[in-house]
Amino acid sequence: MFRNNYDSDALTFSPQGRIFQVEYAQEAVKQGSVVVGIVSKTHAVLAALKRNAEELSSYQKKVIEIDAHYGIALAGLASDARVLSNFMQQQSLSSRLTYDRPIALAEITHRLSIRAQKSTQQHGRRPYGVGLLIAGIDTTGPHLFEFQPSGVTQEMVACAMGARSQMARTYLERHVDEFEACGKDELIKHALRALKESLSQDKELTVDNTSVGISGEDEAFILLDGQSVVPWLNATFENREGGEESMEVDS
Amino acid sequence: MTSIGTGYDLDNSVFSPDGRNFQVEYAVKAVENGGTSIGIRCKDGVVLATEKLVTSKLMKAGANKRIATVDRNIGMVSAGLLPDGRYLVSRARQETASWRQIYKSPMPVASLAGRLGSFVQMFTMNGGLRPFGITAIVGGWDSEGDMAVDGQVGAGPSVGAGGKASGKKYGGPFLYMIEPSGLYWGYYGAATGKGRQAAKSELEKLDLSAGALSLEQGVKEAARIIYVAHEDSKDKEFELEMTWVSGLSGPTKGQHQEVPKELREEAERLAKKALEGDDEMEE
Repeated sequence: MFRNNYDSDALTFSPQGRIFQVEYAQEAVKQGSVVVGIVSKTHAVLAALKRNAEELSSYQKKVIEIDAHYGIALAGLASDARVLSNFMQQQSLSSRLTYDRPIALAEITHRLSIRAQKSTQQHGRRPYGVGLLIAGIDTTGPHLFEFQPSGVTQEMVACAMGARSQMARTYLERHVDEFEACGKDELIKHALRALKESLSQDKELTVDNTSVGISGEDEAFILLDGQSVVPWLNATFENREGGEESMEVDS
Repeated sequence: MTSIGTGYDLDNSVFSPDGRNFQVEYAVKAVENGGTSIGIRCKDGVVLATEKLVTSKLMKAGANKRIATVDRNIGMVSAGLLPDGRYLVSRARQETASWRQIYKSPMPVASLAGRLGSFVQMFTMNGGLRPFGITAIVGGWDSEGDMAVDGQVGAGPSVGAGGKASGKKYGGPFLYMIEPSGLYWGYYGAATGKGRQAAKSELEKLDLSAGALSLEQGVKEAARIIYVAHEDSKDKEFELEMTWVSGLSGPTKGQHQEVPKELREEAERLAKKALEGDDEMEE
């Protein structure tokens, strides 16, 4: 990779007005495994592809519940995400304690953005190397927000980030008009199909590597992991190979 | 820029031999790539408008507002790095809130511009910081009389410090623009971002200093100017976002608000029509 004079910290503008350290942090997001989020009129859903470091290791957590009404999916440095998810959990709890109400998703996203912005303008820190999808429901309905290391946050109807996420994004753009009317089942299926688009040739969605998070009207955020995700995989992909095999692992 | 790459442009708060602070100049470059934002000071209010580029069709339409309300009577919009803009808004909100705490009255726009200018300047002098990659436009309405504020005790003196001298005019619409260097000026019409040149020349045609343009007319001109400024990047889609603030007797009753949907759509219709008219004349 080429080097230039203006990329050694996040406090230096290049002559074109770019901040390379922030752009490099954004690259870290693209190295993470793919995550997808979609929102309908009633539900918000997250789906993620988990990776394991080696055959015998466990899989990296990709979807985290923050509060009863929302959760996040992460792409990039998982340890940075843990710092941010701790922050979000604290903020969410303090909202419930102080105001006796779940924090609005736009508000928590805004606080996250302000926090991330500081590490791109103040000395002694580096930008966070993680992108997040924040999905859940509050008094104004279901929401999906995208968070980038630069501190940019945007509300989306659907979003994908991480390695090879362009394929998932193409799927989402093709079906973007259908999402609003989707029920819970259809929305999860769309998310899983989008996720599958981004897999490399030799890979498949399995009981081990798939995570789904969902919240809806009068439904608390649920994390579907391991065996609880199998019915959804079977329902989404008919004639799935290896479905029974993964059941055997558990028995 | 002759001394580029000679080492004087790598650190903030370092002068080059010819007395320039390159990092600030580079920050201005970040502003010049942002979507166009404008502000118009009319005789009975201020309009703020911005061109919000739609970078993905997966973005939620109508969400992701770019113009922020700082205090009830003040709005703010910026061009450049979005998170920097949001950070400056949060600072502005702290300033106006603490002003209310201390003085029991809303902060004048001029005072806010001054405070923000000082804040932004600090980021050009300190080695541990970088300048803001934004130019911010601040617009608002200062009340003509003393406004009742929650927690206020007594009416305050009628003249002298803290009061109003008789026979003098107070309050009205105000508009300021703050640059990455911390420099700020008051404006009749302000423009920043990618299409600022086109927007500026359109603003100059309006003869705003005469103080004849009405707020409603200003809304229509603002929409048209954003559409004109967008001509250069026609292939990209955008959403027009507009807010306004008038005096107590005006349509917003002294508050900074989004321009009502009907009026915005009417202004957009006229803007498109005006552009088509221009094209025909060229042909």
